[in-house]
Amino acid sequence: MWDFIAERHRQILYDGFQHVYLVVLAVVAATFIAILIAMLVTKVPRLGGVTNMLSAIGLTIPGFALVGLLMPATGIGSTTAFICVCFYAVLPILRNAVVGLQGVEPVLLESARGMGMGEAAVIARVRLPLAWPVILAGIRVSLQMSMGIAAIAAYVLGPGLGSYIFTGLAQIGGKNALNYALVGTLGVVLLALILDLLLVLVGRVTIPKGIRV
Amino acid sequence: MTTLDPTVATPEKSVRRSRLRPAGGESAAMLMVLPIMVAILFIGYVIWRQTADLDSIEESTLAWGAIWEQLRDHIAITLVASAIVVVIAVPLGILLTRGRARAIAPAVVAFANAGQAAPAIGLIVLLAIWLGFGFWTGVLGLVIYGLLPVLRNTITGLQGVDPTLVEAGRGIGMSAPQVLLRVELPLALPVIMAGIRTALVLVVGTAALVTFIGAGGLGGALTSGINLFRFPVMVSAALLIALLALLIEWVGRVLETVLRPKGI
Repeated sequence: MWDFIAERHRQILYDGFQHVYLVVLAVVAATFIAILIAMLVTKVPRLGGVTNMLSAIGLTIPGFALVGLLMPATGIGSTTAFICVCFYAVLPILRNAVVGLQGVEPVLLESARGMGMGEAAVIARVRLPLAWPVILAGIRVSLQMSMGIAAIAAYVLGPGLGSYIFTGLAQIGGKNALNYALVGTLGVVLLALILDLLLVLVGRVTIPKGIRV
Repeated sequence: MTTLDPTVATPEKSVRRSRLRPAGGESAAMLMVLPIMVAILFIGYVIWRQTADLDSIEESTLAWGAIWEQLRDHIAITLVASAIVVVIAVPLGILLTRGRARAIAPAVVAFANAGQAAPAIGLIVLLAIWLGFGFWTGVLGLVIYGLLPVLRNTITGLQGVDPTLVEAGRGIGMSAPQVLLRVELPLALPVIMAGIRTALVLVVGTAALVTFIGAGGLGGALTSGINLFRFPVMVSAALLIALLALLIEWVGRVLETVLRPKGI
């Protein structure tokens, strides 16, 4: 195992980086998409039920099936992987963003307006900061999920550590099969834990002082 | 500052609640919409399949006999794995909320949470290297994957039972097992069922991957579609897998509604 890693450490590091890069990019994009949709829902509360239902349906569709559905449109490679990861990444964030933004007390919004804040300022300085801890919790769930989905997307030649798992599968019986599968699986777990820790730190820094628990 | 604190507490609490038991309105709508949606899409697929112009490879991969067999295997492995999950996770969850075991419950849940970060496909491949290909290896992988939501919700559900009710049960002369069976479990059931539904959805989705280790299922048609680069096969198989997952989710919701004790 150590020889295996030592021999290939550059390649493994590179693929691990690619994995993280794909997931982080997708989750960041997903965060923007989710917050935008959630703001729309806050404006038009009737959309709330529909959004919840669509995200429940979306989460039910297996990742591998979505890969199959996307392939004809987006082909083999990282585009498919990115869209697939991004699709799932939006859902948990969206759910929490809707709850978070709607959960801001009307009294606070009222007083913000009373202080003379415009609509944009109310969103940027009151709504978003107050909803942020809940949104961040959604981002953490989303990130964990995305790491696994990115591994599946490797079947259609998406970038990252998933390819090690599939190489291990293809070489079963060979001497390196276990090494490949272990590096792929444990690599993803390790990176997921590191990213989660980083998000906790992000929370420390970005959650406004007044509402820290 | 004091005025801000409760504001944050409210959304956090409602997040937890909405994840454990979805709002009544949404659940009712899903109960109606899901079967209709699945039925329409399936009928659409059947019509397309009967009229489409397919080449011989596509024709044989999508032959009804082959599809039925994979569908049957897929459902079988999903149900077997889910049943085992329930049989293991619910008693384990009960055990972890009794007596001294209570102290290690958070550690167990944290460990299971971290384990959830392992990609399903990696877990399945590792198990296959260890135990060989086949149905039961697939079942084991799915069971490991489905355990966490049921375990977590069983613990949360039981911990959420109002202690005064347990006290009242003891007060009217019930023994500890009686309180568990007649007070705690019925009250925790909605939360436990929500966990079981989550596990069902996870398992039916992950079951699309067990074809890689020779345990059958609709993933077979999907991988042939991708490997042969035949769009009709790919999309058909993916659609059927998605429909099955939606149907299973619906069954979970029906069970949840039917089993919910009256008065809660």
